Amino acid sequence: MKKILPFIIILLVLGVALVSAWALKKRSSGTVTPVTNNPNSPAPVNANDTVVTGVAGAEPPHILGPNSAPARLEEFGDFECPPCGLFHPVLVQMHKEFGDKLQITFREFPLAPAHQHAIAAASAAEAAGLQGKFWEMHDLLYENQKAWHEAFDVRPIFEGFAKQIGLDMNRYQNDLNGDQVAQRILNDGKRGHSMGVKGTPTVFLNGREVPFESLPADKLRVLINLEVTNHK
Amino acid sequence: MSSESSTAPEVTAKRRNLLFIVIGVLSLCGLADAIYLTIEHITGQSVRCTIIAGCSEVLSSSYAVVGGYPLASIGALAYFTVFSLAILALFGYRIAGQLLTLLVLAMCLVSLWLIYLQAFVIHAFCQFCLLSAIITFTMTGLALLLWKARNIS
Repeated sequence: MKKILPFIIILLVLGVALVSAWALKKRSSGTVTPVTNNPNSPAPVNANDTVVTGVAGAEPPHILGPNSAPARLEEFGDFECPPCGLFHPVLVQMHKEFGDKLQITFREFPLAPAHQHAIAAASAAEAAGLQGKFWEMHDLLYENQKAWHEAFDVRPIFEGFAKQIGLDMNRYQNDLNGDQVAQRILNDGKRGHSMGVKGTPTVFLNGREVPFESLPADKLRVLINLEVTNHK
Repeated sequence: MSSESSTAPEVTAKRRNLLFIVIGVLSLCGLADAIYLTIEHITGQSVRCTIIAGCSEVLSSSYAVVGGYPLASIGALAYFTVFSLAILALFGYRIAGQLLTLLVLAMCLVSLWLIYLQAFVIHAFCQFCLLSAIITFTMTGLALLLWKARNIS
């Protein structure tokens, strides 16, 4: 018995390790949380899904695409988050491919203090948004993320972006640290927390959370197509 | 000295067994950490940014994958091997103890390399990777004590 006991212990630990890994994987990949705050959203594909209502975010939200779009995608993002930067071209591609069938909403979810410039970047985007140029600033921040990510002082860089998209610089400077911008970021954050957002990018499609592993273009396209088809 | 007191070789053997047990327990902690990181990697969760800085930067870097496999899965395999060797050594398989020392030393070198990468190349630290490094360094210290005990005996 003493001869085989060590091997029994080893096999036992191997079994526990494999079962734990399987359970952990099942838990991690099964996070499709149904969430919506819009009564006009199309019904979930799975009728058994429970609908959870999040609190309202910043109003009006930053939206691309019509309200009548059958697929409504809401992203909680942080401009300094590298995976959000990688997800940006995916969304641009989806917007081009689906046109009016897809509505994209961006919500601020700056992960401070993990990302030291996240609040500054969110403020720059919101200040641009007050002049109707949120998406222009949004694109510039993501496209140049690597350039400003490691900078000590990002203010001159963001000012450069603001000039590039033709903002009224006096108003931009005033809005940057104003209450309106701070309140919008706070409201989006509150909405994110109420919807269970813990990291970025977190994406909801017609109120249901899209698993992180489904965010690459080829997989997201399938999910959006499904929503568009179900709507017909 | 009373007749019930242990002899020197017995004390050394007991201390060695205790070290194997502690290394075994530490390797289980390392195994749990590595399994968690592997699953996070496979499901893509590790690549998401969270309020805790560093992990997404480290785990989404090119150094987090070796030969197509998540580095954490190789770590899990290494910790499981350490555990197996510690158990075998505890049950008297002499060669297992020697292999364990060599493996733990190799893991220590890899951990040092990974800390260098986090500090000077990626410029971000992942707390789960640091936990793994602490476990490995502790095991290295214990493995060196084993080596010393073996030489004495």
